[in-house]
Amino acid sequence: MSVTLPRLWWPALSRREPTPAELFGHADRLRRAGRYGEAAQLVLQGLSLDPASVTGHLLAAYLHVARRKTVPAKQEFRWVLERDASHPRALLGLARIALEEGDVDGCRESLVRALRVYPDFPEAQALLDGLAARRPATAPARPRLDRLRLPAAARALFVLAGDGAVIAVRPESAGEAGGRLARAAGFAAATLQRAGLGPLRRGIVADADDTHFLRADVTLTLALTLPRSTHITQGLLEVNRLWAAAQHELAVAREEVVETTPSVGTRRVS
Amino acid sequence: MSRLRLGLEMDGSSRGRLVRDVVQGLARVVGVRGALLVAPDGFIIAAEVPASVAMEPVAALAATLGRDLEVGATRLGRGAFQTALFSADDGTLFLAASRIGFVVALAEPQANVQAIRGGLEEAVSAIDSSWAPATPAATTT
Repeated sequence: MSVTLPRLWWPALSRREPTPAELFGHADRLRRAGRYGEAAQLVLQGLSLDPASVTGHLLAAYLHVARRKTVPAKQEFRWVLERDASHPRALLGLARIALEEGDVDGCRESLVRALRVYPDFPEAQALLDGLAARRPATAPARPRLDRLRLPAAARALFVLAGDGAVIAVRPESAGEAGGRLARAAGFAAATLQRAGLGPLRRGIVADADDTHFLRADVTLTLALTLPRSTHITQGLLEVNRLWAAAQHELAVAREEVVETTPSVGTRRVS
Repeated sequence: MSRLRLGLEMDGSSRGRLVRDVVQGLARVVGVRGALLVAPDGFIIAAEVPASVAMEPVAALAATLGRDLEVGATRLGRGAFQTALFSADDGTLFLAASRIGFVVALAEPQANVQAIRGGLEEAVSAIDSSWAPATPAATTT
């Protein structure tokens, strides 16, 4: 009897309109399977029934992020924060967007706010660690990159200090790319550390047009951009050669800094 | 030794199974310690990783790294970000962009890079073909 009753009632139950909570629940399950479009339809339906639902707006924000739509995602996260100023997931979402927009300070501020209220928030802590991994240090020596012999096909060369500061770039017009590369190297280093794999040593990043070959240690990161068609072995050989040459130039630059810095003993007193 | 986590445990759809199969398949490639599929917001869609790896922080950082590479490539007019690998003393992290998120593999230090890149490309291809927008039905006049 207890088994048959729900079966008899089910057609009647299924005819009723789903509640916003049911719609959001189903949307969340679809989102968890990567079915973002279908999930977004259900969230819209749910929000039309309950426009003030924090759950609905948060889900809408997640789905915008998942579909790489930054502007509406930011609006939805802000909507949530206007009602709950310390909502940890909304703060984390805004922090990610700030980072994508290049606003590192805004990202850090949102993460710190979230962690102040919820200290046990592993994702926020991991991102904050990723930002902190490359803290500005003393001004680095600037090596003479113009003396390095680049491969004929090379499109750019970057030398970054251990703190992520761009200390040299060729051509100079590639400066913005250097900044982004520094941040990506910082997050790659943080991800490797969190996965228990150790400090970043090498990297290969391929996009549609170029391949970027990286070498790194705690003091220096060097990145060489070559055409996408470059064979990986060739790219690694080139970056290794330039790594050795850049280390030499950096040592020369450090010596020059030491020689030009007046010591206490030579300072004149008038 | 390993944990399997699938976001859509209640959904028996072919896409849900595909996601699980793709991640399990990648994790079985020789030299791969673990694999994840992470949404761009850092949500773990599916994962098979050793218990020693803290999934959430790794997923959060991998998604941030993936988005940073995507946004950077687009903003600098270099065309879409496709794949990346970052190696360390004790292993290598592989990352590839797909329609629904980032495919991540954690590999042994001596793993065959080409084999894992091939596995990653197959995984992305399987996801992208399954998630491709529906083609409008052809009309005849």
